[in-house]
Formats: sequence, C-alpha cells, structure tokens
Amino acid sequence: MITGIINTNVDVSDRYITRQGQVTFFSYTNVENIEAKNNQVLSVIDFSKNEIAISMLMKAFVFKKALMREHFNESYIESDLYPKATLEGIILDFDPANREDQTKIVKGKITIRGITKEVEIKTKITFQEQKYIFSGDFELTVKDFEIKIPSVLAPNIAKNISVQFKFEYEPYEL
Amino acid sequence: MSLMNCNMYFLFVALVCGLSSVNAQSLLDELDKVQSDAHPYELATFKSSRISLGHSTETLKKGVLEIGSRSRFWNIPNSDIQSFVADKMSTRLSLEYGISNRLTFGVGGTTLDGIFDMFLKYKMVRQRKHGFPFSITLLQSGSYQSERTSLADIHRSDDFADRLAFTTQLLLSKKVTSQFSLQFSPTLVHRNSSVFEEDPENHFALGMGGRYKVGGHVSIVSEYYHLFNPLESRDTYNAFSLGVNWELSDVMLQFQLTNTRNLVEDAFITQTPNNFNFNDGNLVFGFTGIFILHLHNGLKK
Repeated sequence: MITGIINTNVDVSDRYITRQGQVTFFSYTNVENIEAKNNQVLSVIDFSKNEIAISMLMKAFVFKKALMREHFNESYIESDLYPKATLEGIILDFDPANREDQTKIVKGKITIRGITKEVEIKTKITFQEQKYIFSGDFELTVKDFEIKIPSVLAPNIAKNISVQFKFEYEPYEL
Repeated sequence: MSLMNCNMYFLFVALVCGLSSVNAQSLLDELDKVQSDAHPYELATFKSSRISLGHSTETLKKGVLEIGSRSRFWNIPNSDIQSFVADKMSTRLSLEYGISNRLTFGVGGTTLDGIFDMFLKYKMVRQRKHGFPFSITLLQSGSYQSERTSLADIHRSDDFADRLAFTTQLLLSKKVTSQFSLQFSPTLVHRNSSVFEEDPENHFALGMGGRYKVGGHVSIVSEYYHLFNPLESRDTYNAFSLGVNWELSDVMLQFQLTNTRNLVEDAFITQTPNNFNFNDGNLVFGFTGIFILHLHNGLKK
C-alpha cells in the first residue's frame, strides 16, 4: 500500500520544476571573449508525456563587462520587444522511473527574438536527492535569429555561440 | 459522514477540473504565470553619460574608466586664416570613473580658456518597468578657469576663488518607449565672481534633451538649455544641439551640430556668445569619442 502510494506519487506528481536553472553562453573570438550567465531560468517537465518547457528573461543575463547587458538587451536581442527566450519540446525515449545516469535527446523548438528554430539537444540526465538534473551544451548560430551585428564589431562576436545549461528539477508543489 | 464524503467528492471534482484545465494549456503558458521579473529596471535610458552637450541620468558602471575626448570646431567669420578643417577648436580631455554603479567621479581639462573641472554624479532613483516612472540623478560640478577668455573675461580677478564656478543639476529622465527617452534638467549655475555688478551670480536654467533610437546602435539626440536669467553685460544665447550618437561596444562616438563652443556646463549654459544657425562662425561642429576601460571584471550583479 505504502509503496503503492509512493509509486503513484512518482507517477502522478508528473511535474518537476526549477526556478533557478542556469544557462550560460560564450562567444569566443580572437578579439574578445564574451560570457553571460542567467541563473533564474524557469523550466517545467511533465513526465507523463515527457514534455519540457523552458522560459528565460533575456534581461536576467549578467555579463563580465559592464555595458554589455545594455548592449545585449538594447542593440542585439531587443528585449523590450522580445523579453523571453523559450524552448518547448519532448525528451525522446525517456523513462522517468529509470534513475541511472543517461544521455537523451531533447527535441523541440527554441524561440529567440520571436524566431523559432527546431533543435535537438543532447542532454545528460542524472537523478540525485529527489532531483532530476539535466545538463549539457549546444551551439546556436547568431544568423539564425537575425541578430544584426555592425560590420565593425563582426570580429568581436562569434558566428556560433556555445550554450551551457544545468537544470535541477524538483517535484512541482502546487 | 455522508456530507463529508460529498464534500470530498466535490473537492475531487474541482481538483480534476482544475488539473485538466491546466493540462489544456501548454507548459509554457504555465511558466508565464510563475515568471517573476528578474530585472525590473529600465535599461539604457541613454547609452552614454552625456545626452549630447550635458549630462544624462546615466552613470558609469562600477569599475569602469571612461577616457573621453570631446571637441568643438568652428570658423572665424571673414577671417583670412587658411586653417585646416576649422579655424578654431576646443577639446575637453577627461577621465571619469564609476566608483559604484550609482556614483561617478570625473575630471577634465578644456583647451579653450583653460578650464579644469571635476564632478560627482549620483544616481538616486532608477526608473522601473512597473513602478517608479523616472530616473533621478544628481550632479555637482565645479570648474576653474585658468586663462583669461578670448572674449571679455567674466570673472573679477585672477584670484583662484574668483575664477570658480559651480553647477548643480537635478536630472530627471524617462524612457518613454523602447526607442524614445526624454530628460529634464533643472540647473543652477553659481559663479564666484563677476566683473559687472549687473550680472547675476546665480543662473537658473532648464535643460531639455531627448534620444530617439533609430537603429540597433544609432540614435538621434537633441538638447536645449533655456537660461532664465542670462548675463546682462553681454548678449548670450541658449545652448542647442542636434546630434547623432553611435553606440558601439566599448567605444561611443557622438557627432553634434551646435552653437556651443565650450564643454563645461557653467560655460556653455551661461556664456554661449552666438545663436544656432548655419552662418560661418555660429555653426559649431562637435565630435566626441569615448573609450571604456574595464578595471573591475567578473560577472556583474
């Protein structure tokens, strides 16, 4: 009976959430290295359908160099018009009951500046202390999201931006 | 008992309905409800510490050293001088430093009239997206005019104290839309001495400035200072400027068409000798180059 309840808890409380997901992006060029971190990323997973959603505010990215936040939000991302970046997708072939370390593909749609791209992101999934931990990295192409870079600054900003992420999901308490 | 069961049943139905209505929306919609605004302040009301002529409400970020060169070029009408580009120029070279995100300290020297100035600028209130609708910054600057002016000198003697002037400004700005920002700058200029008794020692002025962002990195700016009690001993005109700011990463370039020749507040607000028009000698071309050095690296809060 008790195990039954616990089991149903695992199955029924299908939703896991994080409010402090971490997303870091890097742009490495010969001229300049740019790094920015957002550790207030929201994400929720519905394990009944293995659906995942991520939402982050662009303004919450902090940079190493002062003024970068202003430039990033005002001149590149236009966060007044597009305040969020989002991802909606599904975790392929994932069984939440299997708590071993594993690597799965998250397939979904990523939206930045109102432009949506299909992505497949290799994700490492571990289970520790009642938390599902999703981590990994992938690359995004600046051009895909129609981010305008003035030609004088073209050498300062990488064509491909590498993105690292780490989310620790806890059971969603309503 | 049966009543309680009934209650439980209703509770269950309500829960199921509630859950199914949640399920009907996408997970993203659900996240929207929990999202809290991480940075409720308006960013980049102005990108630079100056709108065009005068200070904006923006302060430098902590640990940032701004190296600035601000120049004005103009011609002397009907002159026989065969000079390159312009007959006259004036440049203010400056170092300005962000002590904290709110407090900036700056020093500068201007070639015209040998004016040395320093200022402290403190950002008191930041405009919020949903909340306080303005940014308020306080500026206090002082300047020392080390040379006799090219025009008639306005200071009484060569004593150090007689050649000082102080400017106090309450800068109020509002980012109206993501493109458009507006600023009002009530200003008090105090000059320690005057040659002529009829000249006021305290001048009151109201500055008005605006920025309109036309592209990712380019904005058009304009600024005007209305002086309520100008000098009596000579004709002066209100300072006006129309300019383009080019905002790159660590470099900012500003171009101005203006009637002001000096670059320090007290001088250009109270002592601009010519009106703004396209006549030779009146039209002043301004160029500002700012380079930012980061002395305090690390992820910013």
